[in-house]
Amino acid sequence: MLLSLLIFTPLIFAAIVALVPERWIRPTSFVLSILHFALTCTLFYRFEPGRATLQMVEKMPWVPTFGVNYFVGIDGISFWLVILSSFLTPLVVLGSWTAIEKNVRSFHILLFMLMTSMIGTFLAMDAILFYTFFETSLIPMYFMVGVWGGSRRLYATMKFFIYTMAGSLFMLVAIIALIFMTQEQLGFMSASITDFYQLQIPFVANTFLNTQTLLFFAFSLAFAIKVPMFPVHTWLPDAHVEAPTPGSVILAAVMLKMGTYGFMRFVMPIFPSAMEYWAWLFLLLAVVGIIYGALVAMVQPDLKKLVAYSSVSHMGYVMLGIFALNIYGATGGLYQMLNHAVSTGALFFLVGMIYEKTHSRQISDYGSLAKVAPIYTIIFVLVTFSSIAVPLTNGFVGEFLILAGTFQSHPIFAVFAVTGVILGAVYMLWAVKRVFFGAEGKLIHEHPGDELEITAREICVMVPLVILIFWMGIFPNDFLNWSKASLDHLIQDRTHYELSIED
Amino acid sequence: MQIEFTMLDFLLVAPAVALFIASCIPLLIKVLRGNKEQNPFATLIYAYMGIVVAAGFAVSTTGMARTAFDGALVFDGISSFTTLIVLLVAGVGLTFSRDSFSTNDKQFTETMFLTLNAAIGMLTVVWANDLILTFIGIELFSLCLYILIAMSLEDKLSKEAAFKYFILGSFASAIMLYGISFIYGTVGSTFLPDLIQATPNLLATNRLFLLGFVMLVAGIGFKIAIFPFHSWAPDVYQGSPTPLTAFMATGVKAVSLAFMLRLVASQAFTVERFWPFVDVLQWLVALTILIGNVGAFRQKSLKRMLAYSSIAHSGYVMIGIIAAGIGGASMLGASGVMFYIFSYSIMTVGAFGVLHLLEGRADSDLTVEDLKGLAAEKPWLALSMTILMLSLTGIPPTLGFFGKFFIFSAAVKQGLVWLAVWGVIGSVISVYYYLRPVVAMYMETPLLKREALSMRPLSYFVVTFMALVVLIIGLASEPFYQVVLSSVAKVF
Repeated sequence: MLLSLLIFTPLIFAAIVALVPERWIRPTSFVLSILHFALTCTLFYRFEPGRATLQMVEKMPWVPTFGVNYFVGIDGISFWLVILSSFLTPLVVLGSWTAIEKNVRSFHILLFMLMTSMIGTFLAMDAILFYTFFETSLIPMYFMVGVWGGSRRLYATMKFFIYTMAGSLFMLVAIIALIFMTQEQLGFMSASITDFYQLQIPFVANTFLNTQTLLFFAFSLAFAIKVPMFPVHTWLPDAHVEAPTPGSVILAAVMLKMGTYGFMRFVMPIFPSAMEYWAWLFLLLAVVGIIYGALVAMVQPDLKKLVAYSSVSHMGYVMLGIFALNIYGATGGLYQMLNHAVSTGALFFLVGMIYEKTHSRQISDYGSLAKVAPIYTIIFVLVTFSSIAVPLTNGFVGEFLILAGTFQSHPIFAVFAVTGVILGAVYMLWAVKRVFFGAEGKLIHEHPGDELEITAREICVMVPLVILIFWMGIFPNDFLNWSKASLDHLIQDRTHYELSIED
Repeated sequence: MQIEFTMLDFLLVAPAVALFIASCIPLLIKVLRGNKEQNPFATLIYAYMGIVVAAGFAVSTTGMARTAFDGALVFDGISSFTTLIVLLVAGVGLTFSRDSFSTNDKQFTETMFLTLNAAIGMLTVVWANDLILTFIGIELFSLCLYILIAMSLEDKLSKEAAFKYFILGSFASAIMLYGISFIYGTVGSTFLPDLIQATPNLLATNRLFLLGFVMLVAGIGFKIAIFPFHSWAPDVYQGSPTPLTAFMATGVKAVSLAFMLRLVASQAFTVERFWPFVDVLQWLVALTILIGNVGAFRQKSLKRMLAYSSIAHSGYVMIGIIAAGIGGASMLGASGVMFYIFSYSIMTVGAFGVLHLLEGRADSDLTVEDLKGLAAEKPWLALSMTILMLSLTGIPPTLGFFGKFFIFSAAVKQGLVWLAVWGVIGSVISVYYYLRPVVAMYMETPLLKREALSMRPLSYFVVTFMALVVLIIGLASEPFYQVVLSSVAKVF
């Protein structure tokens, strides 16, 4: 019952927000999202981290003719992502307090709808249910970018929608094929992912045209676009730059994780042979993405675009970790998903905060910001440390594990991936230098006094994130222990993965 | 030969009789009142009564007998299901007609008469078990539609559309009739079961029969608007009054596709020598999907856009029909087709209804530009339109998604993966043009002056209702799919 509550209470919240008086919308949304987070925190009591099983399962027939069920459950892999989605929403409501000026009501309704589809995506254990949530998450985001976005928002939102939809439709055909495969091999039609795990899908090496490889690529394309991986990443900078701050935060922090989560939930256990055989391709693309993203980020004159490209680079690490196919890589990959959510989410918040005051994102307009906004500078630098993986911050743990895992399985890719760490430090620190130190930019003169300083409300948004950066950096086991059993099971029994179900 | 008709025969065709009587009453009243139009709303009430009675008969007689009139009419799952769709869209079309600026004039009585008779023609097509009857049905609804289009108060486009549809439609009918004559010449019967029985042998050996068969399929293909018989659709849909377009785009397609399903799903193609025919059909379907989607991509006029999109949807349904035609798991294909026809009808009627509600004059031809900023002015209408567009795109959990899911499932099951993939590619293209109205409504700055929109509560209600149906049956598709499945199961 708890999981369904987590998925569907945001819809009730949306209805409440639709009814409250105009000036109560933000406070109501904030309180409701805090309530939801409190509800999510009960997972810490209910979830048993020691067992690599699917827990708190709820299953009801939806379209029984095709074996489609309303089937939700949680394990160590989805555990943190659900908590993350719920944790970020109050921050987003608080962070958008003044950033969203028009259509405040619609915005919060969309935000709660988005929450439903995000949490639903992570909890769904039925492929069609997963697909439903995966797709419906596009619609609120599509409106967020399109209605509240910047000047090129229409182009960006259309591109975002078409790209993601294109990938996922091929996945739909693949899901259908898998459903019929369950009928042949298991004797009953089922769209449950747990039944997909039991399929023996024929695989032939050295050729592209065989069942497992084709299905593998259909799924991988959908998820790779969402991550996004190197050649199909181009929607991301556009969408990020045009999206309003809360949109960027959710997009970076949660929606990109749907892709990497898909690789762990679907691709790795269902297509083990194809994944192993084609790992080189994805490792290569991941490494190219890491280096390319970093290089492009370096030359961006626009601060938000810089963060967006850094996202491409960071998500490359996650992919690298997953395709390393060992326990270090997978653990690092999962951890890096959370790190990226915290650090890039925080960066987008910070960029949005300063943009709200100056209406400029051009790095060249700033300079010497540290003089007028010291607290803002401190927070920004701390988040930067996390982003460039300085030890004691969370970024270090994730990248270290990923690189260790990659080195163990594919040393050559690890060698190249390491350069990304250096390049990451280069573009972030260089940007920090140009924005906060050096010669005084024109914006400093236009905004005298402490106009540019971070406000108390904004500090409230940032404090939880900064705390997390260090907590996750210094005590990673507080977090990793919850996922350890599931990850071990996923890696060790990859070729004959099974997920037993517990109520 | 002694011909005897039982009471049951007449009971089974009662829906058509009810429609006909209902359509005559307002006409009679008009004559008695000295050619003075009565209140259109009263006319509409008569139409509703006729439709409700017809639907009542159709539902209550389901399963009483498989055939009527010595097998000339067939009443199976496909017929009863399609009958209900036709009645539904006829009712919706008339509701829109009363509210529309291009039809609500002194001749609403005639509009109503013709619409209901077109519906009778459509029912004849779905019930027909004999090619001659099919032909009569097609002619009946076509003739009614030609006049209905020409009756529009708009001057230029509608006359062109009526003329174009008339010329091309007659041409297609002639080809079809010619084909039927060949079939009669070779088989010795126009009875559908005879034809289906004879097909496997004759198609491979008899060139004349093959020619006749191809002509028959071409004639139906024209009505469904599949490539290469599709080019009339955009012009006609654009020129017709929008309420009529809504009725035509759904009713005609539903019955023609149902007939096609009956013809192709007859399992006559399971014979190996038939593969060339299935191959050709596959290519036509692929091209239909491509042309429909690419064509819609380039349109400014929303009605033309929906016309091209309906061509694409014909293509999706044809995938299901082919899947039903190649044996094995035909049930899956056939039920997918029926489900899709239903969902397509609901979505399309709703979408045209939205356009109809936005038209301020008889000659309005709405473009995407005209929708700008609609969300702020008419939030519920914009929301309905958004839901309908998302459903046409096939976003879960709407009705449109499950339509595609069932069709693609059938295709994958029957080994037509490439058609499923092709359909998916088409859907990706369609995202752009279906979302463009949504972008205009919500994200672009409002138009400075918009034609004042009059209140049309009945049409408004219908559109909102369709949007709700799309959502609700989408979420609870299983019970509905079971109904379709069980009704189709009786055919095979």
